[in-house]
Amino acid sequence: MLMKPAPALELRGLSKRYDDGTVALESLDLTVPDGAFFGLLGPNGAGKTTLISAVCNLIRVTAGEVLVFGEPAESLSARRAVGLSEQDINLDRFLTVEETLVYHGGWFGMGRKEAHARAAEMIEIFDLNQKGKVRTPKLSGGMRRRLLLARALMHRPRLVILDEPTAGVDFELRLELWRYIRRLHEQGTTILLTTHYLEEAETLCQEIALIRAGRLIARDSADGLREHYAAASLEDVYVKAMGV
Amino acid sequence: MSGVRGLLWLSRRECLRVTRLWTQTVLAPVVASILFIVVFGLSLGSRIREIDGHDYQLFIVPGLIAMAMVQAAYNNTSSSVFQARQDRYINDLLSAPMHPWQLNLGYTVGGVVRALAIGVSLAALALPVTGIRIEQPLVLAAAVVLGVVIFSALGTIVGIFADTFDNHTFVSNIVILPLVFLGGVFYSIESLPSPWQELTHFNPLFYLVNAIRYGFLGTSDVSVALSLGVTAALAVPMYAWAQWLFMSGRRLKA
Repeated sequence: MLMKPAPALELRGLSKRYDDGTVALESLDLTVPDGAFFGLLGPNGAGKTTLISAVCNLIRVTAGEVLVFGEPAESLSARRAVGLSEQDINLDRFLTVEETLVYHGGWFGMGRKEAHARAAEMIEIFDLNQKGKVRTPKLSGGMRRRLLLARALMHRPRLVILDEPTAGVDFELRLELWRYIRRLHEQGTTILLTTHYLEEAETLCQEIALIRAGRLIARDSADGLREHYAAASLEDVYVKAMGV
Repeated sequence: MSGVRGLLWLSRRECLRVTRLWTQTVLAPVVASILFIVVFGLSLGSRIREIDGHDYQLFIVPGLIAMAMVQAAYNNTSSSVFQARQDRYINDLLSAPMHPWQLNLGYTVGGVVRALAIGVSLAALALPVTGIRIEQPLVLAAAVVLGVVIFSALGTIVGIFADTFDNHTFVSNIVILPLVFLGGVFYSIESLPSPWQELTHFNPLFYLVNAIRYGFLGTSDVSVALSLGVTAALAVPMYAWAQWLFMSGRRLKA
């Protein structure tokens, strides 16, 4: 009998209460199948970034379990499978573009030759050729955003988490990033995307989860959500679901 | 073993930071210490009688090397960890498949390399100026390793707890510098009146300075076993504390 493949991401009863008492996530259950293009929508403070941080070993969860391809999120094998592009630009100011990618490859276990070859590939793909030897503080906002995405993909993760990857970028770059993310998904990578742009979620994601105040309030395809909320557009769904 | 490559790359990154900023990280402290040797040793040395059978200019060299090394080890890890936290690129490391001990060791390597670069440079420059020799190389090696581990670990701890860059400089200027100065860099405690002589024994840096002095000159204010024992007794909990911070994620993870 064939074993059912483990989901890319499984959250069971995930709760996070910060030291100041803020409850960011409350008993949240969520499963993202392997190979899915999954969107997370919710207002600021809904718990999207906290959820992502729990998956990527960046917060201490209060309760619950996080599994990545069936492995506990804190295990080394789970961490190797995840690539994260954070919402905020968080680049090492001492490193050049090329070094940023090479060292990231190193943290994730790549040898020198492999890391340099993969970095050259990512520099080519993300059109960073002219900036390879430039240190990160000297990059424009768009270039930094490209580099963040390139860094997240550097170690060939099976699950890529993109936390508002197109926030603050111009329309051309947004389309370019969409094209690349779509291609990545077609190649079998699972994508978990958070965004404030509803049309971005609708265009890219097969399934969308709506989060409010740390709880999952709905989960379906864009069509399914429209039907469920008897709404004409995803924007209307959002307004009804969030009580805006 | 898993994560070993990550450890090597992190160590390399920390060393790259030292070499890329070499005028700040190595040259400046070497110049400052050489000035101490020249000003205090050569110009005032002739007016001060021998201490423990050594010319004054020779007597102060081990303490000055110790002072420069421990400050460098501390400054390196505290500023590197603090910047990584402040700019949040430490998340790239925390999410990587590396064990907490590998993160701790990787940062420590940067502090150790910077301290050694300064110590070796200073010893090499002090040799033609003062004629200093290494009388007890094994004791010196043990004292140096323990000393730089204590201060690299302290730097990591402060880098993790610091809310502003001022916290980092406060510990450097208000805690470490006075303790090293009062640890007998420029004098033997034999010359201190009571109760200062007795109080000096509560200063842990006094034992480190004396262990390093014994390594260079073969003489010390206290027994070398006691000096190395106290230094080791400080190194172990300090490194363990830094390790616990990486393991628990306290102050690193919300």
